[in-house]
Amino acid sequence: MALRIWASSTANALRLSSATRLHFSPLSRCFSSGNLHSYPSNSPSLCSFLKFRRQNRNLTYALVSIAVLDGLKYANSHEWVKHEGSVATIGITDHAQDHLGEVVFVELPDIGGSVTKANGFGAVESVKATSDVNSPISGEIVEVNTNLKETPGLINSSPYEAGWMIKVKPSNPSELEALMGPKEYTKFCEEEDGAH
Amino acid sequence: MRIPRNLEVWRLGTVNYLKALKLQEKLASDRKINKITDTLLSLQHPPTYTLGKRRTDYNLLVPESELKNMGAELHYTQRGGDITFHGPHQAILYPIISLRDIGLGARKYVENLESTMIELSSLYGVKAHGQRKCETGVWVGDRKIGAIGVRISTGITSHGLAFNIDPDLTFFKHIVPCGIADKDVTSLRRETDLVLPDDEVIQEQLVSCFARLFGYNDIIWKDKNVIEIDD
Repeated sequence: MALRIWASSTANALRLSSATRLHFSPLSRCFSSGNLHSYPSNSPSLCSFLKFRRQNRNLTYALVSIAVLDGLKYANSHEWVKHEGSVATIGITDHAQDHLGEVVFVELPDIGGSVTKANGFGAVESVKATSDVNSPISGEIVEVNTNLKETPGLINSSPYEAGWMIKVKPSNPSELEALMGPKEYTKFCEEEDGAH
Repeated sequence: MRIPRNLEVWRLGTVNYLKALKLQEKLASDRKINKITDTLLSLQHPPTYTLGKRRTDYNLLVPESELKNMGAELHYTQRGGDITFHGPHQAILYPIISLRDIGLGARKYVENLESTMIELSSLYGVKAHGQRKCETGVWVGDRKIGAIGVRISTGITSHGLAFNIDPDLTFFKHIVPCGIADKDVTSLRRETDLVLPDDEVIQEQLVSCFARLFGYNDIIWKDKNVIEIDD
């Protein structure tokens, strides 16, 4: 019952149509709902999964919804790719930004450079940690998100939309096939979080 | 069933900053291909100022040439965080571990590093706390006793934490430490009334706190001389 109430309030908060289904794994307990991102009502339907985040060092937990979007492909290093025509947009996932904390600095490559599948193309800094970001595919960089220089927090508030990092012309489109789909990635995240 | 996890700890004594950096890079790439297990370097540095990836050198308050006169070096690094000072009687831990193997993200990892220093402080009756208003580090009241600056590459960590046992705090006057202008730096010596044992003892305790917080079952201690492992 609590999960159904949560699900409908999530749908409202994310401004999704009532026809859109939210997928989530069953949980034995619910506490308060946590952070929810806003997505435009015409966005592709989304999966999401629930996880607990411990607040500070106290034993209070917030229920946090982690969004996984349909229509994107995912790498096991928690980057996403959106392939539209001849260009692929790349960023880091909601799961990744949640694990990073508040992003305060983003290092991006130059336009015209190249990226190689599974190799680093830039970095983000949060909580005094710089974390490399890897490209899920190979190709030529045709655009970078210069907004991230002034507003690195876009990666936290809008990881799949305004927080995109680079756009690439894929050199080997078959690499996209090897990436995970949304359901597979959701399961991957749940297993990674649940195993520890 | 949880597989038992071992931590290999290298006690290195005092090591030049660049030598330690080169060693970390080698170990991180070995760790990435699973050639080695999780490894922790426990050491101290000669007087050294370091900057992070953001290259915030406006927080260095004296010209670089003057640092040389003081007997200190300056290095630019790829770690997160702002400018800081490392020197004798400051305990340094550089964990080279796989965060993916233990399902930790950057935020949780750094919290655990803070907890390591908080726990060590409590052994000496010092009440420290972390994450003041999202400012990473370990504080006693308004005074900073421990600093963190980390690099995570393909889920493998390098750099780490620095805990002030009893360093010469005047070195901190030449920088805006961690970019925070109006707060003091402190040390375990200043904050506790207890007589401190040798640095080696405190460093071992710090390592034990780390191992316990990160859930390692066993610590394998190794005493290493950096010159010997320079291959």
